[in-house]
Amino acid sequence: MKIRVFFAVLSCRLSRALIRLVGRGGTDFPGRIALKLCPNLLGVLAKNVTTVIVTGTNGKTTTSRMIEQSWIDSGISYFANKSGANLLSGVTAEFAMHSTLGGKCRYTHALIESDEAAFKAISQYVDAKAVVVTNVFRDQLDRYGEVTHTLENIRIGISNSKNATVLLNADDSLCTSLADALPNPILFYGVDTPIYHTRVHELSDAPYCIRCKNEYVYDYVTYGHLGKYRCPVCGYHRPDPSVSVSRVVVSDEDHSVIVVKVDGTEYETNVNLPGGYNIYNACSAMAAGKALGLDPKTVSRSLSEFACGFGRMEKFQIHDTDVRMILIKNPAGCNQVLNFLTERKEPFIFAACLNDRAQDGKDVSWIWDVDFERLTAMGELVEQIYVSGVRAEDMALRFKYAGFPVERLHVEKDYKKLVEEAVSYHKPVFVMPTYTAMLSLRGTISKAYGFKEFWE
Amino acid sequence: MELKICHLYPDILNLYGDRGNILCMEKRLQWRGIEVSTTGVSIGQPLKAADYDLFFIGGGQDFEQEVLLHDLAGEKTAELKSAIEDEKPFLAICGGYQMLGEYYKTWDGQQCDFTGALNLYTIGSKQRMIGNYCFTCTELDGQSVVGFENHSGKTYLGDGVRPIGKVLSGFGNNGEDGMEGARYKNVFATYSHGCLLPKNPVLCDYILKIALERKYQTAELPPLDDVLERSAHNYMEKRLEKK
Repeated sequence: MKIRVFFAVLSCRLSRALIRLVGRGGTDFPGRIALKLCPNLLGVLAKNVTTVIVTGTNGKTTTSRMIEQSWIDSGISYFANKSGANLLSGVTAEFAMHSTLGGKCRYTHALIESDEAAFKAISQYVDAKAVVVTNVFRDQLDRYGEVTHTLENIRIGISNSKNATVLLNADDSLCTSLADALPNPILFYGVDTPIYHTRVHELSDAPYCIRCKNEYVYDYVTYGHLGKYRCPVCGYHRPDPSVSVSRVVVSDEDHSVIVVKVDGTEYETNVNLPGGYNIYNACSAMAAGKALGLDPKTVSRSLSEFACGFGRMEKFQIHDTDVRMILIKNPAGCNQVLNFLTERKEPFIFAACLNDRAQDGKDVSWIWDVDFERLTAMGELVEQIYVSGVRAEDMALRFKYAGFPVERLHVEKDYKKLVEEAVSYHKPVFVMPTYTAMLSLRGTISKAYGFKEFWE
Repeated sequence: MELKICHLYPDILNLYGDRGNILCMEKRLQWRGIEVSTTGVSIGQPLKAADYDLFFIGGGQDFEQEVLLHDLAGEKTAELKSAIEDEKPFLAICGGYQMLGEYYKTWDGQQCDFTGALNLYTIGSKQRMIGNYCFTCTELDGQSVVGFENHSGKTYLGDGVRPIGKVLSGFGNNGEDGMEGARYKNVFATYSHGCLLPKNPVLCDYILKIALERKYQTAELPPLDDVLERSAHNYMEKRLEKK
């Protein structure tokens, strides 16, 4: 066994070094090799490591970066899987990279962001201390199938995690339904107040009661199907959260100021990322702090300091113009980007890059479920729209049928030209790429303007 | 001139961007100065088929489909059938397509009865038929239709129902007989998400024309600037040809 572990860890490290030498990311392949050599490698490496797993449909990466900052500030010895390497192979590789050749992890804690489908696999090997479920939304249907299927994956993952405290989003009726048959200690977190002044028109991913199939009523909706829901027939309702956002004081282009209540004590918290959905991410990070017994004051302070994840509201300055990159993966995530954009008061340039590779979702029809009409309604504030990516033409059609004037709508498939043209107006640029489009676009930006590559 | 569109179960059958088809029909009418209004009819709301000129049904999740079937049976089914026999145009996509048929039988033999408006049925399989695809449309000479299919049900047509066309690339109705979709009177039923109509403007106009002609005897649809539409269509058509 020992010798297997040795070779598996070694091969993982060597192959990753090799891949980086030729200038590629290499977040997944080394793990696949290691698993071939030692299928139980993750189980061996993760033993005795205090692991927190972050899963759910949206917000995994940002929540993880927030938790990470709170661990740094609390003096915890840890490693985290970055660069979105969140499949079984990717997670195994991350553990291997942070272990000795003898198979012992060099850190006491691990922070693992895990794909909800891969969580099921990972949880067989990793005995998590806490599992954070961010939310459950309709995702890339060609890959995950329906939301009930996603939910089932998470449920199985949690049932494998016998010793974990489970952190659930109280505002998400799908998410809270996970609490039903679980013996685990549950910690609910949520937002006690509406977030947006006006919300985009969204289709709810869960309009009907998961228990009795009657329609929910809401006291308020924060976004999507999240909010204070209850079923008038069977009485199923939002549980009271023990960590909650009681007030949103400020929510502007650069940050939010919120008041988070942890066990009755309020902490005013500056969230160093704009967007209402990041208020939820901040709240779950506070909840994760509580689950690990960290000082809420420290976690609250960390939220004002953390650096945002890879493509999640990431800011670049190109020719003195701010370019913000906002990764989108599904309609719910995209609607939240629009909720953010529609609160802008200054003119900006918008770019959407749509790819249809496996990691993006091969089916692009979801763009028709998103309320892009709201950008049209903003009039001249949305000065120009650029579309790019493999399915740029489909994206262009979406804006045309959303009524956006075609004179201000441009198809540009070359990323370098796209960036140059977008910044030429000297107005803030918001780029919304799908996953693989973000990788290419980021690659182009790094090369052309000297920003860091993503695995650094 | 004015068309009244009925969107059946817009809040439930809304899974794959199918509402884009409604948007496409609305815009292409408005750009030509033709009035249009769309009414959603969902669970618990009565359907008066005589009020509408064109019907649309999309696809949805299994969880919600159960809620829906209960509502659809009885009076709504009778209304739908009479509208179909009355030659009103229908566009039905995926789950909506299956629901116009006789029944759906799961791969382990459980049968779920549908409206029976069209003589066709669907058998569940373990294979998921998924991906971009392309098919001919017999009535649009030389013009192919592109879309995205995602279904595990295999649909078989009975007497009196003909396919929309032949599959050029992909699975189509059942992955076996090389056919896609169903045509009966003025019903167009297909597995094509995409969403379907924006990328296939010729098909969209064809359906709109049928609806207008049925209502006003004659209809002229002046051409629109379809450069973007054509390039989206041609991009996918070429990509699938290369396969």
